[in-house]
Amino acid sequence: MKVKAKLKKGNVSVKVLAKSPMAGKEEAEKKKIKVEFITHMTATVNDKVVWEASTGPFLSKNPYMQFVFNAEKAGAKKGDKVVIDWIDSNGKTKKGGKKIK
Amino acid sequence: MQRRKFLSLGAVAAVATVLPSSVSATDFRKEKPAAWQAEGSVEAIKALYGDIKLIEGKIKIKAPKLAENGGAVPIGMKSKIEVESVALFQDANPRSAVVVFELGDSGVFDLKTKIKMRKTANVTVIAKGKDGKFYSAVKKVEVSIGGCGG
Repeated sequence: MKVKAKLKKGNVSVKVLAKSPMAGKEEAEKKKIKVEFITHMTATVNDKVVWEASTGPFLSKNPYMQFVFNAEKAGAKKGDKVVIDWIDSNGKTKKGGKKIK
Repeated sequence: MQRRKFLSLGAVAAVATVLPSSVSATDFRKEKPAAWQAEGSVEAIKALYGDIKLIEGKIKIKAPKLAENGGAVPIGMKSKIEVESVALFQDANPRSAVVVFELGDSGVFDLKTKIKMRKTANVTVIAKGKDGKFYSAVKKVEVSIGGCGG
């Protein structure tokens, strides 16, 4: 997973490049691979949830996410870590993150 | 769904996941399973939000007019409205729902992601405002080579 977080004019913009085949039922059958896609992704800063997504297999392979949150309202500042968690259709979890630049 | 029932479900979800409950941590896949099985956008939106009145013209969808690679079509969604959640649908794949975002207290409605589209179709964005109203936008995206979906 690749994460970038940047504070600019009071807002933190976050870019996440996740890693998953995002293969749903039809695609898995066609490619003869197992069904595997991220089902839920969460972003937290200082234990506060700032963004979350319930996801399905029609996001691109290795899905890309970009979102923005207000630093003051989230109580976030430069150097704080944006933590990304996700869980996939097989119950497998992954955690990563990056400090806010 | 009644609001009270919805709220109690949210509380259960927040406890079940170890995440802090500062935002109503909602797993829309678990709470609204029917929405993820619907084939068309109209049914999927109805399964997710019920019968809602939509306000158009407030959300901007940024997408290529012609997507060369249907496997990763960039879709941007933006608005000045303060929103709770934003859902993205399309009519190019076996099922319509793609992703539901929740922005919490601090979120700014400025999202971008990449989706699969195996043919030319409409992309629909539905946002639930903090004012309780629903906003929508639709954009047609032409796809020259289909995505790797079934």
